[in-house]
Amino acid sequence: MAGIRKIQRRLNKKFDGRVQAVFEDGIIRLTGELDNWDDVVAACEIAATKNSLVHVVNDIKFTGGEIPPMRVPSLRDNALNGKTPDVLIIGGGITGCAIARELSKWEMNVMLIEKNADFAMGASGANDGEVHVGIDLKKGSLKQKYVLLGNAMYDKFCSDLDVPFRRPGQYILFTQLWLLIPIFFFYIRRKYIDGVKSSRFMWGSKIKREQPTFDKKIKFGIYNDNAGVVCSYGLTIACAENAAENGVEAYLNTAVLSMDTNDSGNIIAVHTNRGTIKPTIVINAAGVFADDIAEMAHDRFYSIHPRRGTNSIQDTKSANIIDCIASVEYASVGSLKSKTKGGGIMRTVDDNVLVGPDAVECFDKEDTSTYPESLKTTYTKQKGTVPAASERDIITYFTGIRAATFEEDFVIEWGRKCPNMFHCGGIQSPGLTAAPAIAADVEKIIVDRLSKKREILQKKKWTPVRRGVPRLKEMIPARRSAMIARNPDYGIIVCRCEEISKGEIIDCLERPLCPPTVDAVKKRIRPGMGRCQGGFCQPLVAQIIAEHENIDISEVKKSSAESVILYGENKGGAEE
Amino acid sequence: MSTIVCITCPRGCTMNIEKAGSDWTVTGNACRRGRDFAIAEMTDPRRTVCTTVRTTFKSAPALPCRVSADIPKDKMFDVMKEISKVTVSKQLNRGDVIIKDVLGLGVDVIATSDLLTQL
Amino acid sequence: MIWTCDVMVIGGGPAGLAAAISADKEGARVVLVEREARLGGILKQCIHDGFGLVRYEEKLSGPEYVERFIDEFRSRGIEAKLMTFVTSVERIKEGFKVTLVSRDGVEVYEAKSLVLATGCRERTSKQVFIHGTRPSGIFTAGTAQHYTNLLGQLPTKRCVILGSGDIGLIMARRLTLEGAEVVGVYEIKNTPSGLTRNIHQCLNDFNIPLHLSHTVTRVFGMDRLEAVEVAKVDEHLKPIPGTEEKIECDALILSVGLIPENELAETLEVRIDNRTKGPICDSNLMTNIPGIFACGNALHVNDLVDYVSESGEIAGKNAAHFKRAENKSVIEIVPSETLLYVVPQSLNLNGYINDFVMYFRSNRIYENCIFRLKIDGRTVFEKRYPIVRPPEMERVVINLKGINLRATTVVRAEIVRDEE
Repeated sequence: MAGIRKIQRRLNKKFDGRVQAVFEDGIIRLTGELDNWDDVVAACEIAATKNSLVHVVNDIKFTGGEIPPMRVPSLRDNALNGKTPDVLIIGGGITGCAIARELSKWEMNVMLIEKNADFAMGASGANDGEVHVGIDLKKGSLKQKYVLLGNAMYDKFCSDLDVPFRRPGQYILFTQLWLLIPIFFFYIRRKYIDGVKSSRFMWGSKIKREQPTFDKKIKFGIYNDNAGVVCSYGLTIACAENAAENGVEAYLNTAVLSMDTNDSGNIIAVHTNRGTIKPTIVINAAGVFADDIAEMAHDRFYSIHPRRGTNSIQDTKSANIIDCIASVEYASVGSLKSKTKGGGIMRTVDDNVLVGPDAVECFDKEDTSTYPESLKTTYTKQKGTVPAASERDIITYFTGIRAATFEEDFVIEWGRKCPNMFHCGGIQSPGLTAAPAIAADVEKIIVDRLSKKREILQKKKWTPVRRGVPRLKEMIPARRSAMIARNPDYGIIVCRCEEISKGEIIDCLERPLCPPTVDAVKKRIRPGMGRCQGGFCQPLVAQIIAEHENIDISEVKKSSAESVILYGENKGGAEE
Repeated sequence: MSTIVCITCPRGCTMNIEKAGSDWTVTGNACRRGRDFAIAEMTDPRRTVCTTVRTTFKSAPALPCRVSADIPKDKMFDVMKEISKVTVSKQLNRGDVIIKDVLGLGVDVIATSDLLTQL
Repeated sequence: MIWTCDVMVIGGGPAGLAAAISADKEGARVVLVEREARLGGILKQCIHDGFGLVRYEEKLSGPEYVERFIDEFRSRGIEAKLMTFVTSVERIKEGFKVTLVSRDGVEVYEAKSLVLATGCRERTSKQVFIHGTRPSGIFTAGTAQHYTNLLGQLPTKRCVILGSGDIGLIMARRLTLEGAEVVGVYEIKNTPSGLTRNIHQCLNDFNIPLHLSHTVTRVFGMDRLEAVEVAKVDEHLKPIPGTEEKIECDALILSVGLIPENELAETLEVRIDNRTKGPICDSNLMTNIPGIFACGNALHVNDLVDYVSESGEIAGKNAAHFKRAENKSVIEIVPSETLLYVVPQSLNLNGYINDFVMYFRSNRIYENCIFRLKIDGRTVFEKRYPIVRPPEMERVVINLKGINLRATTVVRAEIVRDEE
């Protein structure tokens, strides 16, 4: 590669010979040693070309901290030993679950494994839930292709899956009048060249009329009425449930530990903590660990650099400050990069206000801790969008980790050295929006491949329609009464903040693939998501779970097997 | 001279107590109960124990209880231990005795709720 | 079918029970609505003693105290709707249309007046901006108390308690008695938040250290809590870098404040006092919305249940006598800056104001001071205190008999140094 010397020169200039770049097998591999993680990222970014298929593989030794190994569930059994699915999907995030659902319409054995105690425990569980329009994306990238396709699919995707979805629209706002001309050109380009057809340029006066809570300093903006909001984990779980209803086998607490490949590079065995699986095709949808999974198949041709983002959730009481998605954007002279990634402020589909996320590079792929700086950054910025945004209304905040490649694009292709692994790597924002479109494409590719060996027919009894747990709160009184008459548990309110009944909790526990944990119920039907954050309802939910599963209450966990809530009966001072 | 904070009522008077011959001088107390408390703290400190006792009732696994009168402070954990040995299987009423004359201290452990009668 | 009643009491804790009983005594048809299966509210789990000293001059446990009210409530045959949840309240011409959900389905009641006795909720770890991971083992003191006292389950073996509020102190003793180790109680302020007697009988008796001017800054642990980071804070309550210390523990128990529950009130446009976080009420404990009364911890956070009951009685009685025809006329009581707040916040000129009860908290500790109520500059009431502290609410009964009150009258409450 001609540019590799140039890259090396730039690396030498910055890192004084501590980082080496080589071009091999169509990738750029970086080696060397650095003690600062930001330097590692900077070095890789020097070597990377945006959206390029020539990926940077990061083999720089990081000496400034300990990168912990992937956390593996403590569960050890042989439940999956000897299974031979046609397709094994690794990863129960939105991508893996959406693919599982699409593949479930075909006569083939599909298995999905997820190492965490529930689905949507990575980026899909700590997402802002925006269904993007792609205003920040240039034509030519996979992200851009899939975001446009995915956005258009969302109405049907969500109505089939009985997942609440709204399109409240998104405003990108500017206060600096000197940006008018460059932004106007940017807008023309996006609308007419990059295909974000719904974009509309808007003057501040109109914006103020439409959105009186926005900051008065706003001069103009771009509005897209088909930007949407969805609950990302609710959607992921709905996909998994629908896939399961259509015959996909899905297993939680199941981690890939290693793989065996044969001479032609094909995976012949996948070793997990629950036995060895022998799949025909492996789909790598492992999120932040996609490159580690690729490595197990000797097919690591891209690297993930985790980038954490923290979102804050405000009380529904403050929902009147915004009814859409918005963010003010600033630029300084000379840096006119589109920066819509700096977080935003929005009304979520559950009528909370969400502020965030920020973006911070980190080396630990699973450190979802929060830091005070994140709230400071996001609130400082978003008070410029909606001045009434207030940290005082925060009820919770959480961190998700984006699975970014250095090219900042998705990796959606067959393995380069491992012919039976299909990669869905580097899926970061707008991965949620892209998921239905990616899943539809992957479905075609997988069916094509398997069809070469045998005829693959559609299932006769497949249904794309899933019915979730009924939401009593949203029903008209007569219907609600009728439901309660049929099952009086629907009349017992357990979560006062979100108005969730005992009947709904029991229904939730009876859904396919629902782990009997407090967090699983919370993610599915929201008890504990409100302003008291489970202070009142957690003991009640734990009791309902214990009763339903016929276990002692001390056996009920928050999420993972180790996330114990109670240590058993009071000792009454009997123990020394 | 010792300083004692009265725990008899929420007022929480800070009192000074001093031995004057066979008698005690207490200052800083707002009432007679404070004086009694201060002297007791010097001679025979006592506390109540409020806790729960295990039951056999699934919907009310714990029944609130307490000692019928204050017990020596250093016997609190011993009494807890005695209470932990008991499992209530009758629908006791408020005030009913759970343990008679616990550890020979001359006080009973009594139920402080009628919740079992409401099941 | 639409049901009707004179007074609907929302909440069956100590305030609601007292309100229902007092409204019943005045001859009103009362319906009390309670979310849970049992009456008693939070006192069901407050098994420690110290309740009822003012009212009964006895040291009762929470259940003993509240069951006296429940007994009276039952003997009066007042209707209680248990396991019933208020989903909405609408204002109608005759009063209020209340929609309830229970095992019997959705029901609508029409009530002439409402008493809000909805209690309060606890602030959570995120509301005090604790950062870090999201493990199990982080409990508010009330949740830990629920597990310990109602379910007989131990939520910790070794814990740190943040906040020296009374529930936190009570839980420190309770968990110690049950065999858990309480490593320490950390309080961000430089004075304890709870009652002095609780510091002594709950911490000192068990050698549990109290660390003032300290807070918890981070939590650690991916599954169950493994440790917390504590740090000293400066005078602005900000952690001082370099003072961090990591403490291994399996639980963090939070006693960092209570917030009156007024979500229902807010949907009815009841005005909320920023200081109390409860509705702004007049001396009849009526809110700005005629016919809506508030009491107990929904009105303001009390430290003694005796006053919770008292405010319930006042609200219940006045709710029973409420007449829609009257034009409400009130004058605001303006608190001086030495007061954290006063309740009620105004005087009702319609009702007769002979004796009315006033609660207040000082903004900080004052020794040898006087609480005064002035009307148009003239002192109409005063009371001397050797000491007043913000954690300890004070109560006075003020008689305004014979004082001419007009809408233009200026009423001022203050705490001043006792010059004598």
